[in-house]
Amino acid sequence: MKIRAKSIVKGVVRGEAIISRMAISFTGGVDPNTGIVREPGHDLEGKSIAGKILIFPIGKGSTTGSWQFYATYKRGNAPKGIINLRAEGVVAVSAVITGTPMVHQPEKDPFDYIKDGDMVTINGDEGFIEIE
Amino acid sequence: MELQKREEEMLSGKHGSGLKKCMEILVAVGESYGAARMIPINSVHMAGNYSVMETEGIEWLEELVQGGSKVTVFTTKNPEMYDFEDWMEFNVPEDLRDKQNRINNVLKALGITLLYSCHHYLAGNLPRFGDHIAWASSGSGAFANSVIGARSNRDGDHTVISAAITGVIPEYGLHLSSNRKGQIIVTTDNLNLSGFNHADFQAMAWHIGKKVRDRIPVFVDLSPDTVIQNIKAILYSLTVTGAVGLVHFVGMTPEAQTVEAACGTNDIASLERISLTQEDVDQAYREISTATDQKVDLVIFGCPQCTIQEIGEVVDLLEGKKVHPETQLWICTSGWVKTLCKRMGYWEKIRAAGGRIVADIGAACGPYLYLPKQGVRVIAVNSARASYYSHNVTGMETWFGSTKECIETAIAGTWRGRK
Repeated sequence: MKIRAKSIVKGVVRGEAIISRMAISFTGGVDPNTGIVREPGHDLEGKSIAGKILIFPIGKGSTTGSWQFYATYKRGNAPKGIINLRAEGVVAVSAVITGTPMVHQPEKDPFDYIKDGDMVTINGDEGFIEIE
Repeated sequence: MELQKREEEMLSGKHGSGLKKCMEILVAVGESYGAARMIPINSVHMAGNYSVMETEGIEWLEELVQGGSKVTVFTTKNPEMYDFEDWMEFNVPEDLRDKQNRINNVLKALGITLLYSCHHYLAGNLPRFGDHIAWASSGSGAFANSVIGARSNRDGDHTVISAAITGVIPEYGLHLSSNRKGQIIVTTDNLNLSGFNHADFQAMAWHIGKKVRDRIPVFVDLSPDTVIQNIKAILYSLTVTGAVGLVHFVGMTPEAQTVEAACGTNDIASLERISLTQEDVDQAYREISTATDQKVDLVIFGCPQCTIQEIGEVVDLLEGKKVHPETQLWICTSGWVKTLCKRMGYWEKIRAAGGRIVADIGAACGPYLYLPKQGVRVIAVNSARASYYSHNVTGMETWFGSTKECIETAIAGTWRGRK
């Protein structure tokens, strides 16, 4: 199925979904050396976001997150694509400087349709998400 | 977005690869948020230090300099890893000093003022009510919006550096009056605020940030007489757990003199309400501290960096006391406040008690790049923000409590606050 969403960074990418219902901070929240979420009590704690299509509601925390995201990306541990319910500045610019396809404001709640491990395509050129 | 002729030229690369990259970032951010145009800014503050930038970040900045970029707007920089004057005392490893030299050089080449302070608004980078600014460092950005009434989004460093170089920022979010209306009401009447200290306000705000997420909270019943230290406690803690850029303190925030003014066209009666309870505050305390080991290696203050008033309080608390020989006490501040401490005699008093005033760093990240190798593992802080970042970025075990509890800990060598 297809869900329309607004494009933030262009590009088309397909990958395995990892989904969180909690906001993410890339400073402190994710280890750049592994891509593993390390925030205590986070619903993705101990799981890797590397190479995945990362779906989460919104960014949070320090505005230094774009540096940590950049280091994570340079070490090959960043997500392939990002879907946010609503983009905020830190995650949006992280996607921009790394060329990571990103969409937000999906027309339907992705939590109702996507679960961990589903194959998902982000189409940032045309603005939609496709779930296999 | 509709761009001016000069902005179009920057984007096309006519003015060099640095300006091109910066304008690409700003346009992409602007397009993300549906911004109609760019607007001029007059103040910029950059946040990232080595612990978050890492080598990849320095390389990113060096590439920008190679592209011929320089800031066109007054720009200051947040704290770094060590005290530039007294670094010999702290056994800072050579590789970190090399990294710091690269950072100093690249920032200077960009024209950024090496303030290395997060109270830049007390040190010359002070916008006015209604000014459009670009401040990274989520705590001070919230301070600018909520206390000064200047307008900054919760921008990352890449955005603010691009803004400093081009002189403009996309007009969206908190730059627009229509997006500055209160969205969620916060009431404190179930709490005994008169008995609250600086740490209690932080624990309270920690809870609020989680509930508010990215919405604009309106504190409707906080006394306008609440001291600025407690307002800072709320702002610097709320922005750890929430993506909050603006908080309306009714009667205090310049554009929120009344609840109606704070909420504008939003219907106050239908807004969600958070009614805070003591249990919320107690639960936050349990979440903020991460340590179990009672023995404390380092008590560290300064997230945000200590003001001269806060250091004066520490001097009073230390009167006639000695810091435990196996525990260090660091008071982090800016270079200019350190100078003032020497003038006031605070420097000597704190040293005589066995503590140190350390300039150019904050208590959140920088020093933990070398302290663990010197045996520092468990720290005590009077900042929820410092607890979160030092634990999650650099793996410190943290105790969080009031300034008084932390000083008692420094003297005893073991944790003396809430467990």
